[in-house]
Amino acid sequence: MLKLVETEFLKLRRRKLPWVMLLAAFVMPFFAFLFYSYLGKKGVDPLLFYKMSALGFTMFIILPVILGVLSTILMYDENQYDMLKQLWIVPVSKLGYFFSKFFMILLYSVGFMLLTAVGSIAFSVLPGIVAFSWGSAFYLLQKCLEIGVLCAFGLLPILAVAASQKGYILPVCATLVYAFLSFFLMSFNLYLHPLSSMAAIVMRNNDIPGLAFTGAPNLPLAFLCIDVWGVVSVWVADLALKRK
Amino acid sequence: MSDFLIETKQLTKIYGEQTAVNAVNLHVKKGRIYGLLGRNGAGKTTIMKMIFGLASITSGQVEVFGKNIKGRQKSVYPRIGAIIETPGFYPNLTGTENLEIFAKLRGTAAPDAVKNALTVVGLPYKDKKLFSKYSLGMKQRLGIANAILHDPELLILDEPTNGLDPIGIAEMREFIQKLSAERGKTILISSHILSEIALLADDIGIIDHGVLLEESSMEELKQKNGRYIQLRVSDVPKATLILEQRFGLAGYSVQDDETLRLYDTSLDMAAVNKALVLQEVSVLSSQLCNDTLEDYFKKITGGEGIA
Repeated sequence: MLKLVETEFLKLRRRKLPWVMLLAAFVMPFFAFLFYSYLGKKGVDPLLFYKMSALGFTMFIILPVILGVLSTILMYDENQYDMLKQLWIVPVSKLGYFFSKFFMILLYSVGFMLLTAVGSIAFSVLPGIVAFSWGSAFYLLQKCLEIGVLCAFGLLPILAVAASQKGYILPVCATLVYAFLSFFLMSFNLYLHPLSSMAAIVMRNNDIPGLAFTGAPNLPLAFLCIDVWGVVSVWVADLALKRK
Repeated sequence: MSDFLIETKQLTKIYGEQTAVNAVNLHVKKGRIYGLLGRNGAGKTTIMKMIFGLASITSGQVEVFGKNIKGRQKSVYPRIGAIIETPGFYPNLTGTENLEIFAKLRGTAAPDAVKNALTVVGLPYKDKKLFSKYSLGMKQRLGIANAILHDPELLILDEPTNGLDPIGIAEMREFIQKLSAERGKTILISSHILSEIALLADDIGIIDHGVLLEESSMEELKQKNGRYIQLRVSDVPKATLILEQRFGLAGYSVQDDETLRLYDTSLDMAAVNKALVLQEVSVLSSQLCNDTLEDYFKKITGGEGIA
């Protein structure tokens, strides 16, 4: 498995897009900086700034879309250039192959959210919008790590779609639908969609200002939702890869 | 243990209602080059995929290194190198980088395995040219380099000369022969190019519409393959009468009103010519002929020739 992950890194040589996509981690911190700079406010509550910079659109839209695109990139070459047969006869196990891709997604997701955390602190503390405190920095770091880990698991269905397709159009479209679907479903039931379940886990203490659920989130149900989707995704990916 | 590195018994593959491979009994001997010849769509690739467990077997069995293969038999893969269909590699990487990935995945122990494999196929080591910029010939060479990277005993090459120019084909042929002669590799190679197989293979299997029509060594095939004496004479009916009466000949055929084919090549042609001339039958020409492999292919497939 370690070998597979190592080779995943080698395969990314000279690929610019995954690195360029990391810049998206700074999009919301930058917008939050612009917003508070425009208002001319100083000494803003760090949680308010971080809600905008890391715990809002980044969690619900930007990160899932970025991870969906990355899933497609990771699967594309081997599907498009008919390389899977060569890998199978090495031999590489089909599930090992799938999990090595997932591990890359997980690492990328955590890295992306760490960059978001760094960007949030930089864009808030350096211009003096927020007064630095270790407490708020750790809070942000903790939430970003949670989002990074959970979102990777929440994106397993997209990775499975990417594994089953030769092209990139369907996985990318599926990513967009999948990300926005979590928004719609959230108002009906938090535990139908892995991304809304992720939000329920991250916001479990109702400690993000302006983002709160009416009741206490049901954590076991949220984890169950992510697990069930994850298991089904692995099963689908295994079937799809067996056909190739 | 049997003498065969690959042996299939009644190997059959059915896709829906179409039988792609029908009860094929293939025997690949150790240290030899086995050429699997057939038109496009004859079932060659399907057989190779079944040998690797990349396609399920409908019925029959495959034995590789004496082991019955059911599904993906991972234990035999390290002993086999292969190109199945067009070899694909990562376009953003160089040839060396691509091979390094496969070497790592295989756990290839030799530190200079990649360099050696590239040298054998005549590709530069640590070259900066990306795979996406490779010519078709270079891609095929890289495919072979990948197949021999871990120094396997058995090579399975599915149409390795596909898309190559004549010089590339000749180089590839020479290279495959060298692998067999100098390194003792057993090679199963498929092709739809008859001349290619004729020049390369020690043993040949001819497959058509999923059925293995013929399997023999090239030597045997050449021997039994349509050797005859073509005789052009002025009077065919009279000549046949003389041949039947004087030489007891039964195996002949009349091609046209002045040509005969005599299938007993051990005949004393000097005596035949003399007898015919004495009976006032002019002998316009007589020559020992061999059917080409293409003629033979046509004959046994009962249809069109092959490239």
